[in-house]
Amino acid sequence: MNTLKEWVFSTDHKRIGILYLVGSFAAFGLAGIAALIIRLQQYAPGMDVAQGQAYYNALYFHAAAMILAFLIPGLTGFFGNYMLPIMIGAKDMAFPRLNAFSVWLYLMGVVLALISMAVPDAPDVLWTGYPPYSVRTTANTAFYVFTVHLLGFSSIVGAINIIVTVACMRAPGVGWNQLPMLVWTVLAALVINLIFIPVLGAAVTMLLTDKYMGTHFFDAAAGGDALLYQNLFWFYSHPAVYVIFLPAMGVLFEVISTMGQNPVFNYKAAVYGGVFGVAALSGEVWVHHLYTSGLPDWIRIGMTVTTLLISVPVGIMIISLWGTLYKAALRYNIAMYYAAACLFFVLVGGLTGIPLAVVSMTVHLAKTAYVHAHFHYVMALFSTFAIFSGVYFWFPKMTNRFAETALGKAGFWLSFIGANVTFAPLFVVGVAGMPRRYWDYDQFPTWFASYHHVSTYGAFIMGAGMLLALINFVYCAFAGEKCKSANPWNSNSLEWTHTVSPPGPGNFLHDVSVPAGWSPYQYTAR
Amino acid sequence: MVHLFRVRLALVTAICLAVLVGPARAQWSPYSESEVDPSLFRIDEGRFLGVKPDAALTFRDEKGKAFSFGEMTGQPLILVLSYYNCDGTCSVVNKDLGDLLKEVKGQVPGRDYRILTVSFDPKDTAESLAKFRAKFEVPAPVLAAWRFALPANEGDAKRLADSIGFKFFWSPRDRQFLHPGVFAFLSAEGRVVRFLYSASSRPLDVELALIDAKQNQIKPTEIFDLALSLCYSYNYKDGKYQVNYPLFIGFGSLVFGIVSLLVSILVYKRRARKGELLR
Amino acid sequence: MTGNKKIGWVSVLAGLAAFAVPAAVLAADGKIPDPAADWNHLFGHVLLDIIIIGVAFGGWGAYMLVKYRATAPGQVGQGPKLSVAQAIALAVIPAVVFMADDFYLAANGWVLWNTQRTVPAGALEIRMTANQFYWDFDFGNGVTATNEIKVPVGKPVVMRMTSNDVVHSFGIPDFRIKEDAVPGRKTFLWFVAQKPGRYLATCGEYCGMSHAQMGAWIEAVPQADYDAWIKSQQHASAPQPSNS
Repeated sequence: MNTLKEWVFSTDHKRIGILYLVGSFAAFGLAGIAALIIRLQQYAPGMDVAQGQAYYNALYFHAAAMILAFLIPGLTGFFGNYMLPIMIGAKDMAFPRLNAFSVWLYLMGVVLALISMAVPDAPDVLWTGYPPYSVRTTANTAFYVFTVHLLGFSSIVGAINIIVTVACMRAPGVGWNQLPMLVWTVLAALVINLIFIPVLGAAVTMLLTDKYMGTHFFDAAAGGDALLYQNLFWFYSHPAVYVIFLPAMGVLFEVISTMGQNPVFNYKAAVYGGVFGVAALSGEVWVHHLYTSGLPDWIRIGMTVTTLLISVPVGIMIISLWGTLYKAALRYNIAMYYAAACLFFVLVGGLTGIPLAVVSMTVHLAKTAYVHAHFHYVMALFSTFAIFSGVYFWFPKMTNRFAETALGKAGFWLSFIGANVTFAPLFVVGVAGMPRRYWDYDQFPTWFASYHHVSTYGAFIMGAGMLLALINFVYCAFAGEKCKSANPWNSNSLEWTHTVSPPGPGNFLHDVSVPAGWSPYQYTAR
Repeated sequence: MVHLFRVRLALVTAICLAVLVGPARAQWSPYSESEVDPSLFRIDEGRFLGVKPDAALTFRDEKGKAFSFGEMTGQPLILVLSYYNCDGTCSVVNKDLGDLLKEVKGQVPGRDYRILTVSFDPKDTAESLAKFRAKFEVPAPVLAAWRFALPANEGDAKRLADSIGFKFFWSPRDRQFLHPGVFAFLSAEGRVVRFLYSASSRPLDVELALIDAKQNQIKPTEIFDLALSLCYSYNYKDGKYQVNYPLFIGFGSLVFGIVSLLVSILVYKRRARKGELLR
Repeated sequence: MTGNKKIGWVSVLAGLAAFAVPAAVLAADGKIPDPAADWNHLFGHVLLDIIIIGVAFGGWGAYMLVKYRATAPGQVGQGPKLSVAQAIALAVIPAVVFMADDFYLAANGWVLWNTQRTVPAGALEIRMTANQFYWDFDFGNGVTATNEIKVPVGKPVVMRMTSNDVVHSFGIPDFRIKEDAVPGRKTFLWFVAQKPGRYLATCGEYCGMSHAQMGAWIEAVPQADYDAWIKSQQHASAPQPSNS
């Protein structure tokens, strides 16, 4: 009972981080089940697993839960809460009670998303909720709106907290140029969140009043504009892609640099060119989600250029990531396996995005399985594998135990193979014209079905792999091999060098200060 | 959330009010009385927006010069269907448009748009046209961009009217034509982009419709036109433009996000100075 | 390194020069362009582009992942320490190279975009209205059709589209084109069927539970067959006297 109380009323950023982790893995598991339902329905034309409305309920839940309740909270919530304060040598967050508020808002949001699946007329508006459909549908769009409200508000509160923490609570000696990459990337992601989420909040709120209170914000017949919603939605939701991408990159930098005992290559370019560049460009490219929407031609060609230019800051980060491997001394643990897989995913996902940046290519590829495969590579697989990599990497920090088991390795290989088997075929049918979000496709050539067969098998292989990894975490948290030192990977970052595993209340035994010239990436031979 | 929204709402309301003051001052003419249900004459916009009247239709202008409809395209055009004969009641639609255009400051007649009035009354002649034009009072620049025309061939007026969904008929009892007071705004390509009704239009509506008619041809120097047109959206039900509320709400939210970022850092810095924080 | 830089600048200039090309392309002979073939052509180029980058980076990464494994416990990486000039160069040079590639792609994309958005003169106009869950076509000469239409082979066809209820998206995979049908707005796309055949049009934007079954068939037939079809449709849809 006391333990429960300790967790519920805790304002300790580490406990809150763990709550974020548990919540996001729960959302991940459930959204994963929804994904399997979707894949089963697409296995062949005429399947009867989830037709019509039921299919779109599953699609709604899969997307909303994966993005809003797993990827964003997993990366900014868990890593941001648990790791960030320790990495900068702070005792806790700037506003600990606000922090507790934010995690409980988040958990309520997850619960609401679950309830929305249990009520009659569950939302069927996908995670985008485009009007007029979301206003005209008989389903309960309100659940969608309130879920976005809760999760969005939680993100705003969390963002304020972490930004202030990093800005004001760094230990003496920890300068801006000595921050770990994870801190920079999470910080940039949260600045994006804080600036853009209110726009999404406003957009979905207007949806709510349109549907239930008779306003006409998005009703073209009465002076509204359906397209404006799409603009407002993607004005946040494209930057949201970077809210996911940047911290995932940050995790990779930590893992690869530490496991390779090699400092981050061209750190300042990665931060000031890469992270800053992505954050600055993130708000100027949203129209590539609306390439076929009938916006004026010149906006569409203009945003083609800005979208393509995203490749510059991303490219600089990629060069730094690759450069960190150069002349490294790589030691392979499971975290490093996942990180290596991420390098592959970011290449495939990023490069297949190039045709989608060009408006004249996109008028064919938009809304096909090609898009589906592209963003699953770059957003779903890349970021999910980065989360797993990070959890394996910091597992000894959180539990004082290793998660390096054969089970974990099997989980990795199944996930990696399954992921590619699932999504590679979708590129092919996508280019051939297979639309996304179709629960039936008997009007298309019969060979499409063979590709969907393969993709469905892949999804189950990947599902098995993810399940093994989750089992491995739970098992090892209680019965894993104990660590002999507080710094098993020989990192030079504060969370490993200056405190025990797991850190107690207040994080550090003594006040932290670091000497001039200290860097989290200074490795010394043992 | 509720509290936050109240803050946000207050902010947005302030912005919207500021924006509303402009158009609210503008006048619009009272609805002309008619015994016929005006909704009968409403143009079915779903069907007729985007249509392109036949470029080969030919007319004769006030100087007796023949020209084709295609010659009038190439820049935005306001098309009015009316008549010149004042035997019964005069048509007021031209005068209404002239009064509105007098107030439109942002768009220059001749450079940004032209006006074409075509008579659908078969009894109209070069004489009645000349008489009408002589009495027609608009500022010189507007008049210079305005062409009054008669159909060159019988049936051309009817064809033009049908192609844009314009309905009219002769009422023997009233001894006049019944027709909607409608202005059709055509793009440079010659496609109908917007219909406005003289009864409900304000100068602002005309200006916005002219900007709409420029479509993709907006030049970089006309960025203010673009910004203006973004602030308003067309209301099909009321037949006029209204403030684009969602845009301002969305923009207000963005400002809210940036402000909250700055405020949180400022508040923290102040508290840190006062030494209220554990460190 | 300087060689690299030179290549980068040359590509930038080439990219910028390509921006000036579209106007010239449009002014060329009066032949009807084939946007679908142009799409395939450009996609081939882009595919080559991304495969080259992918293989280069993938191969380099895989090589390093294998080559730079630690050989002894406690070993430390020997990554180079960069001077300021090196650090800046290693950020600027890749940036320039990536930018050059971006501008090159944008310029080529723009050429195709102009083709896709410039309807050839004399195109057949069809007004399309999307509904949950069917497509209404209006040929403007009294002929209307739902979900099944015929068009002449080799003649450009432009669809002027709107929607009666929710957002739909009219896409014809074989013609490599797609555009949304939005309530309150007029949008368009154009295509030209090079060969006779039945082409599937699909709904791309989620519009409700039967979204997956909202298809239309466009049958491209020789002009004479098309004229005959129009005539028969006009005859069939002529108003019956008893109805008036």
